[in-house]
Amino acid sequence: MSDAARIDRGSDPALLRCERLQVGHSGRALVPALDLELRAGEFVAVVGRNGTGKTTWFRTVLGLLAPVSGRVIARPGLRLSYVPQRIQLDPLYPALARDVVAMGVERGLSFISPRLREPALVHGALERAGAMAYAERPFRSLSEGQKQRVLLARLCVAAPELALLDEPTSAMDAVAEREALSMIDGLRREQATSVLVVSHYLGLVREFAERVVLFDSACETVLVGPTDEVLAHAVFQRNYPRPGGDACETH
Amino acid sequence: MPHSAPTWSELVQGWELGIYREPIYCGLLAGLLLGYLGVYIVLRRMVFITAAIGQAAGMGVALAFFAQIHLALAVPPVAGAVVFALLFTGVFALPLERLPVSRESVLGVAYLVAWAGSVMVGDRISQEAHDISSILFGTAVLVRSEDFHSLLAVGSVALLWYAIGHRGVTFALFDPEAARVQRLPVRLIELTSLLWVALCVSVATRALGVLPVFAFAVIPAVTGLLLFDRLRWVLAAAASLGALAGGGGYLAAFFLEFPVGACQSAVAALFFTLALLARGARAWRSLLPA
Repeated sequence: MSDAARIDRGSDPALLRCERLQVGHSGRALVPALDLELRAGEFVAVVGRNGTGKTTWFRTVLGLLAPVSGRVIARPGLRLSYVPQRIQLDPLYPALARDVVAMGVERGLSFISPRLREPALVHGALERAGAMAYAERPFRSLSEGQKQRVLLARLCVAAPELALLDEPTSAMDAVAEREALSMIDGLRREQATSVLVVSHYLGLVREFAERVVLFDSACETVLVGPTDEVLAHAVFQRNYPRPGGDACETH
Repeated sequence: MPHSAPTWSELVQGWELGIYREPIYCGLLAGLLLGYLGVYIVLRRMVFITAAIGQAAGMGVALAFFAQIHLALAVPPVAGAVVFALLFTGVFALPLERLPVSRESVLGVAYLVAWAGSVMVGDRISQEAHDISSILFGTAVLVRSEDFHSLLAVGSVALLWYAIGHRGVTFALFDPEAARVQRLPVRLIELTSLLWVALCVSVATRALGVLPVFAFAVIPAVTGLLLFDRLRWVLAAAASLGALAGGGGYLAAFFLEFPVGACQSAVAALFFTLALLARGARAWRSLLPA
């Protein structure tokens, strides 16, 4: 196994804890075991080149894949919400954008109880995500960037304690991406939502994230630590070299 | 003596005598019910599940006969049909997405297995084989009262489940991973929804036959999807058009003297064609300069 460096640890009770978590497919680990604790109000970015196992790790943390070894322990009753990497949603499904946002309200068996009117939260979330203009449009007719805004509005409606976002802004332009991450950061500050986001835009990672998890499959390394320390680490420099030799900004 | 075309007075007379009442009611009910459920079937990309459930039910009937003849077990054939339809449907609630093949392919394999199984078992009970089709497949011309009431009972409970669970069913269908993350019981929702589909399809097939049931479960749903962009309107349109096809198809068959199931399917297909034309016209208008 490689070095799985742990650079910092806080004292708050964890919302979610990965203990010696190894992820992969068919029992074969993609990355070394990782320990990680997520506490309320943290903004943690997950970075790494394509194919390093970020998404597999992410989906394992979400409980969508079984770990190869180790475990994920979530605080009982933890409110999670998820924005998927690509728009994996059914392109045939007939729903307006605001119908999709309203799905964020559901939790457990809440769908059984009657709801005669759409919650006012939906309207507010659409406003907040800058998606109000197309609230009444069919979701399937929206551009990929617009769909991502709608999914971010769904995330707001869910009022999660822990928000997990897998490249949530990959179809947005740079301005929209900054707006989206500012919105997510606002959620974190206002509601103490803990944010775990996979992103390739290192400029925004540096700006918003307090901690970074760096995946490097070539060296079989996972680094976890404060953003400045990870981005200055030799492993990071090796993954994102500037033409002159320093780490570069990528998107 | 020249053949005279059927008249309204003959229809009214037959209605008053109770000959046409239950077949028409049954057509309306099956159209409404399967039109509604069909939207979920089409959105799940499982349109052939209706035909496949019929085939599984056939295998259940054949095995029930086999048990009666060779094992001296008194298994009611209809119970065999329902149990096999439910078992078969249960397969599709398994996590098939983990397999490197499409759900449609698994559906094809299951259909062929049920078909081959019923032929093989049927070969050992040849003296009873003719009963399999009469037990399984009704004719929409004359519907037995007990079949209509069974459909009414099963259909009411199925619609109640879909009405109560609507938000969960749609969330689990649209974005199952996010639904799981938000702790919805996605697998249970999926299983329950499919089991209701299996029950409704097997009971409706018993009452009306394979063709109209397959048609009601597919055509009105596709028509609704062509016409509307919001699920609640798609469901309303599919249920309404299904009911119209069920009732209208019976009347068309009466006056035009065609087989009932085929006529009901043709009326549903007519609505589909009109919806297709309407959609085409809408697309054409959008291309014109304002």
